[in-house]
Amino acid sequence: MKKYALILAAVFLTLSCSKKTSSGPPNPPEPPDPPPVQEVVYDETGCLFKSYNGLVMAGYQGWFAAEGDASERGWYHFQNGSCGGFKPGCSTIDFWPDMTEYTKTYPSPFQFANGTNAKLYSPYDEETIDLHFKWMQQYGLDGVFMQRFVGEIKNTNPKGKRHFNKVLENALKAAKKYSRAICVMYDLSGCSPEDVAYLEQDWNELQTLFKLFDNVQNPTYLRHNKKPLVVIWGVGFNDNRKYTISDVDKLVDKIKGPTKKVSVMLGVPYFWRTLKNDTENSTTLHTLIKKTDVIMPWAVGRYSNDNYTNVAGAELAGDIQWCATNKVDYVPLVFPGFSWGNLRNDPSLYNSIPRLKGDFLWKQVAGAKLSGAKSLYVAMFDEIDEGTAIYKCAREGELPLHADKRFVGIDADLPSDHYLWLTGQAVKWFHGEGTYNSTRPVR
Amino acid sequence: MKKLSYILLISALAASSCKKDNYDGPTAGLSGNFFDVATKALVEQDIIRGTQIEIQEKGYVVPQYLIVKNDGTYSNTLLFAATYTVKPIRTNFIALEAQEVTLNGQTTLDFNVTPYIRVTNASIVKSGTKVIATFKLQQNVINNVNKIGLYAHEDFRVGEPMRQAETERDLNAVSDPNATYTLEMDIPTKDQLKTGKSYYFRIGARIDIGEARFNYAPTVKIDL
Repeated sequence: MKKYALILAAVFLTLSCSKKTSSGPPNPPEPPDPPPVQEVVYDETGCLFKSYNGLVMAGYQGWFAAEGDASERGWYHFQNGSCGGFKPGCSTIDFWPDMTEYTKTYPSPFQFANGTNAKLYSPYDEETIDLHFKWMQQYGLDGVFMQRFVGEIKNTNPKGKRHFNKVLENALKAAKKYSRAICVMYDLSGCSPEDVAYLEQDWNELQTLFKLFDNVQNPTYLRHNKKPLVVIWGVGFNDNRKYTISDVDKLVDKIKGPTKKVSVMLGVPYFWRTLKNDTENSTTLHTLIKKTDVIMPWAVGRYSNDNYTNVAGAELAGDIQWCATNKVDYVPLVFPGFSWGNLRNDPSLYNSIPRLKGDFLWKQVAGAKLSGAKSLYVAMFDEIDEGTAIYKCAREGELPLHADKRFVGIDADLPSDHYLWLTGQAVKWFHGEGTYNSTRPVR
Repeated sequence: MKKLSYILLISALAASSCKKDNYDGPTAGLSGNFFDVATKALVEQDIIRGTQIEIQEKGYVVPQYLIVKNDGTYSNTLLFAATYTVKPIRTNFIALEAQEVTLNGQTTLDFNVTPYIRVTNASIVKSGTKVIATFKLQQNVINNVNKIGLYAHEDFRVGEPMRQAETERDLNAVSDPNATYTLEMDIPTKDQLKTGKSYYFRIGARIDIGEARFNYAPTVKIDL
């Protein structure tokens, strides 16, 4: 028994002192690899936009509705629930569209100082969206990303879904007519994890309903890396969203699928690379980004004219380097300014990020270009709630009355199309035309 | 007898687990170069208050910091073999991602970087009682260059943090790639510089980004 104990102890000692060795039975043979899945190949004959590279595109909200239009949504996105609707003294919008060229208009609850009614448009109307795309062609903007808020297009919100489908239908038609790039952009703001999963269903519906991937039906639908592009905006933000990076990761896997049906652009927070400030501190965001094709960090409100270079210089350079290393395309965002005094019922927020006649927008255009960006995302074409719109807006001195509030206008010494024109100059620079530098071009 | 075997087992355990320290000493190391990704030249640094390499051993909370030599090389030969997260910090080049590196013996790790500023066409010559530096600046980010300087020291590790004399100018602007910048140092006005001795001179420029460090042209030795 003593001998037995000694042997045991010796074995134990050997075990505890020896380095790990790979003894034991040989591994069973590996199962054969499954046959490789063939990637889907699309016919791109006749497609006008085969890559986002080299393009300047804007976001298109299209979420407004006018009382009396066929959407039956009242003054949707003009009305402000916090102050009682859409009337003098209460609105969501700070800017007022320049209505001169619209053929279909609706009387609004607002008047000009001379007593005439201030009219508005509805993107539910085909002729209105036609006009917007006509402008895009006229000023050279390559195209737009059609915003699709997942909370708005659920089956529990039939009017919302009808609205966004009609706006998309109008836009697809106009994009084809005016040869402008168009792409669907989902916004996950306010989503539950179930809503994130629902996106796949909606996306499949759209493909069928509008023949999105048909190169003859939709020759201007944006493609990237030889696949139609779809955007998912809103992942990695640290503002206590109900859905997680993992929810979006699963969604990306599904909509790409084993055959890589689409290319995906992700809308991410501004500090996505360093995982600080507006960004969730989780490297799973980087894992997700590496699965996708393009990223666009959300820069609205992250800087103003005064601190742009300080904030954006190092971020742009670091971001572009990271994306080149990891083979993901990178699109910086530029915006003309920011104003949401009426939306927030706080007059101190009028022009909270001043436009400075376009100096601020051009500083970002030049900053992106000189840092090596190949394309731009302009926020936004028609966003007048937050005052980032580049389309034609009414000028100071030509605005409706707003009781104890006010509207914000384009500077009186500028034409109402100033920001469309300036964006057109940015397009030329990114297309490699003309001679531009960090000084804002003069018309 | 059963009792005895227990005793034996416990002593065996004790013998195997109670050695004072059965780890090897720090036999691993990490060394390498910072290369300019475009020119392939070494990216000059500062040995004092310059770029450092933060290395964090897996499972340890406290990171270690490796210094980088003026010439853009670094070497630490006394590290424990382990897997580390490695990231250069407080750099004079566009930020790099952290990377995992397993040290097994002496390991080489080079960094290919884009310096914030390239100081090009640099010339430092003595002319009469003056030392005159001329150079161009090629910046790779859109930020302002906030300062340019000519630094002198009797030690070859001269730089902005280590100088006996300097001539500096605040630019606070984006540099002009076509301009030739000139900095002059009038020797008689610099108390710490003695004629008849040799000194090292170096041209530097700093970008206006957070904790960014100076970028330099190579050092030049001049007999005063």
